Amino acid sequence: MINALGKTLQIDIAYSVNSFLYVLRKLPILKDLMTEDIYKSKTLKKVVGIIGILFSMARAIFLKFMYFFVILFICYRMFPDNVVRSFFHIYFVLTLLGMFINNKLLNTSKKKYFSLLVFQMDATSFFRANLFWNLFTSTIMNTICIFLFVNIFLVSPSIIYTPILILYTLMVRLTGEALNILYLRKYNYIWYSNSALYFPILILHLAACFLPLIDVLIPFRIMLIATVIFSITGTLSFMYLMKIKDYKLIYKRLSQMTNVMDSKNEKDYLKQAMVDVTEKDKVIDKKIIEKKEGYDFFNTIFFERHKEILLRSAKKYSWVLGIIYIVVAYLMWKYTKYNESATNFLQLHLSCFVMIMFFINRGAIITQAMFFNCDHAMLRFNFYREPKIILELFKKRLQTVVKVNLLPALVIGIGNSILYSLSNTPISITTHITTFLFIICLSIFFSVHYLVIYYLLQPFNKEMEVKKASYSFVTLGTYLISYFLVDFVLSAEILSVLGILFVIIYIPLALTLVYKIAPRTFKLN
Amino acid sequence: MKLEVNNLEKNYGKKEVLKDISFTFEEGKIYGLLGRNGAGKTTFFNALNNDIPIDQGSFYLEDEYGKRKLETKDIGYVVSTPVVPEFLTGREFLKFYLDINKEKIKDLKGIDEYFDLVKLKREDQDILLKEYSHGMKNKIQILVNVISNPKIILLDEPLTSLDIVVQEEMKKLLLSLKQNHIIIFSTHILELATDLCDEIVVLSNKNLELIEKKDLNSNKYKEKIIEILKEEEEND
Repeated sequence: MINALGKTLQIDIAYSVNSFLYVLRKLPILKDLMTEDIYKSKTLKKVVGIIGILFSMARAIFLKFMYFFVILFICYRMFPDNVVRSFFHIYFVLTLLGMFINNKLLNTSKKKYFSLLVFQMDATSFFRANLFWNLFTSTIMNTICIFLFVNIFLVSPSIIYTPILILYTLMVRLTGEALNILYLRKYNYIWYSNSALYFPILILHLAACFLPLIDVLIPFRIMLIATVIFSITGTLSFMYLMKIKDYKLIYKRLSQMTNVMDSKNEKDYLKQAMVDVTEKDKVIDKKIIEKKEGYDFFNTIFFERHKEILLRSAKKYSWVLGIIYIVVAYLMWKYTKYNESATNFLQLHLSCFVMIMFFINRGAIITQAMFFNCDHAMLRFNFYREPKIILELFKKRLQTVVKVNLLPALVIGIGNSILYSLSNTPISITTHITTFLFIICLSIFFSVHYLVIYYLLQPFNKEMEVKKASYSFVTLGTYLISYFLVDFVLSAEILSVLGILFVIIYIPLALTLVYKIAPRTFKLN
Repeated sequence: MKLEVNNLEKNYGKKEVLKDISFTFEEGKIYGLLGRNGAGKTTFFNALNNDIPIDQGSFYLEDEYGKRKLETKDIGYVVSTPVVPEFLTGREFLKFYLDINKEKIKDLKGIDEYFDLVKLKREDQDILLKEYSHGMKNKIQILVNVISNPKIILLDEPLTSLDIVVQEEMKKLLLSLKQNHIIIFSTHILELATDLCDEIVVLSNKNLELIEKKDLNSNKYKEKIIEILKEEEEND
């Protein structure tokens, strides 16, 4: 087994080293310095290998640390009166969720594919080695983090919590691994690929994390009982996992299911499924396209077939927003304190709507659908790459995306005006108008922004991975700016005028850039 | 009409793939492009189609109006793995394609007539291209590349994945098209090349070489081609 572990690690390191060197050879200056001979250099590979191991260790430690840190942060932010107990509560619930969704044995990866199906390693030793390695490394990291966070940061009242949490985590993991394999063998699929099971469990657990909000916390004795129960199931699971002989068969079935070599992991499948044409959208009303021709015809069908991710989802958002506004309006009308806080929010924290508009805008997902279902094929045709055509289609797409995104924006704009009218504080007509225009401008801004960066940077490859750092940088920047604006206090009128001015300047600039550069940049990578 | 390739060179880093290729292709012929795996056939097609930057060289098209630089609109390129816009049905894609290319198409036919050309079954015409098999996608790809009537048609391993009945249909289609066109067809299957093509061009040692048939019978001709392809291994 130790031999198998050594071999897997070797394959893993060789794969990472060669991939790393491959990436290095694509970088602007380095590519001229490096020849293909670098793959032969043993010293270089050793150095890169060691750096790689250190880097992946640091990454794993960092992620684990962040996981604990985020829980602690939430506890401090949301439950300041009960940090210690709410920390245990959330950790307990999330570990339980991990039992269902954080599966190491059944996830497919290139490493497993190479080891088992290409290098034909003995599957039983391979899986056992992997199981031990995963449990060993995660237990060490959990021990460090639990000790650090529970005993030092939280100054927990008793040292007893640490070993119990470590044991609980380990046993829950073992139980989860075994249960998932049992499920796969019985039903022939991984349970979490079934969204009817996955989402309720996910939502239930996440909701349970926030029970401290209504003063419901899992008592320590329940955690203790759970640890005892999971110790039994964990031990039985371990025995079961050790008994399994047909790991290779299980893996073959899995890799067929997820087709690992075509699409690195299930995440890609999920991404692709997100932009898939749904059954409902396959049939479109003939009347809509009857009189259309050429690119108009093409564009209309594209949006008709993607109604689910664009129009229907914009409608869903509009309904939800509408209901929220009705509830808030009712509360404002009925209670003075809500009337005051809602007025105050609208007058001083209007910048929060930047973040809201960021989330409800369908620009990001629709550009992914454009690429994956359309442009990645069409850009191979010479006629589709002609500058005139690129710009003509850009215009048509922009009109549709702007129109669809305006629907929830109108609900927000009108909703805000209604709330203003219900306010006990008199609101000027200028504020009404500027606030409304601000929301509309925000919506147009996000629609334009996503389409413009898609045309200027075209970041996707055929697996829908983002392959351009500049694109990630711009989207992250957009998110961060929206995020920081949440805490920005400024009068609604001034913020609206500034926002409108920004959009008025941004849009012509962005469109000019597209008209000048997109014919060169909008291409396959 | 002639397609002139002058001093074409393409390198990937320090690796030379195409070296100083000069060759003239003529109208009315189907050229079979043969080469070992990795010889650079697809690179040659990509270079002609302006899909990749080249290190040196130029392409000219000479017809009754004179000689001019080759443009991408002169080329129809059928790639080995067909990619089609999966959100459209076969019929919608064809309608769109005909709409935007109608000025270029000389005798515009009805959509059904085009489908008949590649023998695509009625029931398959109105389903999403996403649901098409590899062979069906290939048919659509070949079809749209021939109906806009480009002067040059490049086909990269187009028939390999098709069943033998469809292969025969496609061969007939290509033979019917060869007048007024230059067709360059890359394949690994020697029989297919000698059977269908008027000329065999071998991409060997980074260069193109026309294999003269002269008085050779078909077996001797094939042996000669294999000998040339083997030479590359020896030179490597």
